[in-house]
Amino acid sequence: MGRDPAADADFTEFAAASRARLRSTAYLLCGDWERASDHVQEGLIKVYVAWPRLLRQGGELAYARKAVVSAFLDASRRRSSTERPSAEHPDRASSEDIASDVADRTALMAALARLPGRQRACVVLRYFEELDVRETAAALGCSEGTVKSQTSRALASLRAMFEDASRDELVVAGERNLPW
Amino acid sequence: MVNELKELMRQNVAAPPPDDLDLSALVGLGRRRVRRRRTAVVGGVAAVVAVVVAGTVVSWPQDSARTGLADRPPAPDAPTIGLADADRAVEGRDYRVVASHTNDDLDSDNGQYLDGVTDDGLVLFRDGPRADQLYPRMALVDPATEEKDWLPDLDIGQAQTWPVQLGVDRLVLIGADSPSDDVPDPGDGPRLVLSAFVFDRATRQWSTVTWPSLPDVRDPHAVVGPDDRLYVFVPAKTGKPPAGGWPTGPDGEADDADAEGSTYHLWSVSLTDGSDARDEGMTVGDLAFTDSSMVWTDSSNGAAGLVHVRDLATGAEHSFDPHAGEKCNLLSFGATDDRVVLSQYCGTYAAGVRDDRVQILTTAGDQVVTIQDSGIDGSVGYLGGRDLVTLSAYGPDGAGTYVYDLGTNQFLQVSDAMSSWSSGGPTPDGMFFSNTPVNSRHGSTQTLGELLR
Repeated sequence: MGRDPAADADFTEFAAASRARLRSTAYLLCGDWERASDHVQEGLIKVYVAWPRLLRQGGELAYARKAVVSAFLDASRRRSSTERPSAEHPDRASSEDIASDVADRTALMAALARLPGRQRACVVLRYFEELDVRETAAALGCSEGTVKSQTSRALASLRAMFEDASRDELVVAGERNLPW
Repeated sequence: MVNELKELMRQNVAAPPPDDLDLSALVGLGRRRVRRRRTAVVGGVAAVVAVVVAGTVVSWPQDSARTGLADRPPAPDAPTIGLADADRAVEGRDYRVVASHTNDDLDSDNGQYLDGVTDDGLVLFRDGPRADQLYPRMALVDPATEEKDWLPDLDIGQAQTWPVQLGVDRLVLIGADSPSDDVPDPGDGPRLVLSAFVFDRATRQWSTVTWPSLPDVRDPHAVVGPDDRLYVFVPAKTGKPPAGGWPTGPDGEADDADAEGSTYHLWSVSLTDGSDARDEGMTVGDLAFTDSSMVWTDSSNGAAGLVHVRDLATGAEHSFDPHAGEKCNLLSFGATDDRVVLSQYCGTYAAGVRDDRVQILTTAGDQVVTIQDSGIDGSVGYLGGRDLVTLSAYGPDGAGTYVYDLGTNQFLQVSDAMSSWSSGGPTPDGMFFSNTPVNSRHGSTQTLGELLR
């Protein structure tokens, strides 16, 4: 049985409206716009499959966000199990590099990239998507306690990375200015 | 300079490169996945209605009662969680009840059951065989109105059937009966002749298909493939107990963990033409179809061996070792578009603690998570949708039905008691069955739920 054309039109409208936001979230998770597009595509396909039910129940965007995060975590898992470790990670800045770049956006991405996938997802969902703990737990499919502990660890790691940078201009490290 | 993490994140995504996502192509990919998902319904022995669950299950020790490494189940080679990691689902927030039915006293008589849900949301209701309904009858029930549309009599007496596809256009049930010849059973299981009963929903007529050239089977286990053929498991090699019998476990019972697996010749048959049956020339343990692949194991009901994945579009294959535990017996198998699920029994340890596992991997072979606990079994497509693992937990701590959402990795406990009877069938994605005891465990309430996502 084919899908109702009207439902397809609704889905297309939803996908068009949400894809930019989802792609931004995916980019903050993976640090690569191309891979972010792949995660969004995979997430939106899952949304399409679930669309009739989502139309009945609502929550399309939450489901789409969940599916994109899930696609990112899957890809992280694949990469971590297939990539060989090397002394210098080409995508990551060294501590020295971080120290010199930490005041800009590149440094943020480098710092995020150093976090394990789930911790990174907690930070992005909590502070970019501005979800509360309960919503973040729902998006990640874990308990609220897990979100709290993962977020806490992530922030501690970020804080340590930023505090390692000693130059005056690294004001991003100023604890009172940080949102955590 | 902006000092806040939020602002830095916003700046980082403020000027993205152009997005070349083609929405019409996306809809095409989505349609393809829906089509495959709906045609690849799994049927199997776990779908048997009113299975009596026997045996006492001991829960995991919560303290230092475990004595020594040899007395405790080993840790799986994967990220691992247990029942205690599940969130308690709240009706109305996490799921809704679609339908439910109670049989007050199944100890005295058989009853009425919800046997699955069609792709368009109607519940397949089966009444009997029981004292007041000697020959089972079936209806499609709209859960919104509870109105029953009774189907014409299938006219097969009291023979048991199992739904393997509940589509918009047709319902497919399978049955298995003893052969009419006098050839004795081979000694390692019954000989059964498989049949399919196909209900055309447009003409409201049943047709029965049998395949004279199809060899006997041992149990009513078959899978509908994306090509609408029924894939059948013809026994090839049956795993044998070790010389001298099974060893005695710490609980004094024979422990058949680390069993030799069984294998099957894979056949496929037409659901419309009894002369169309063919040997696919493959030996498998268990088999499932994902949205894009055929996935199978080397063996089942024992060591699983390797998992093989064949791309249905290109024919390309890859295999991987699922890294199941050394003593694990594969009991149930399933797959979605990007997940492989192996439900396993891996031995019994001190104080009767069982090492039961539900191992979830990607179709590339990467470990997603293993749910390890005592007294659990998981299934995909038997007690709910193919995008969920439905877990039944029988131990005193944490008993109940759990669902693990393969799309979102959410793990929820949806009931807090397990009936002695388990029943259900295939459903659309997102739905699940739970069975809870009533009337001092003489009866059971079967509940059909749907996750709110």
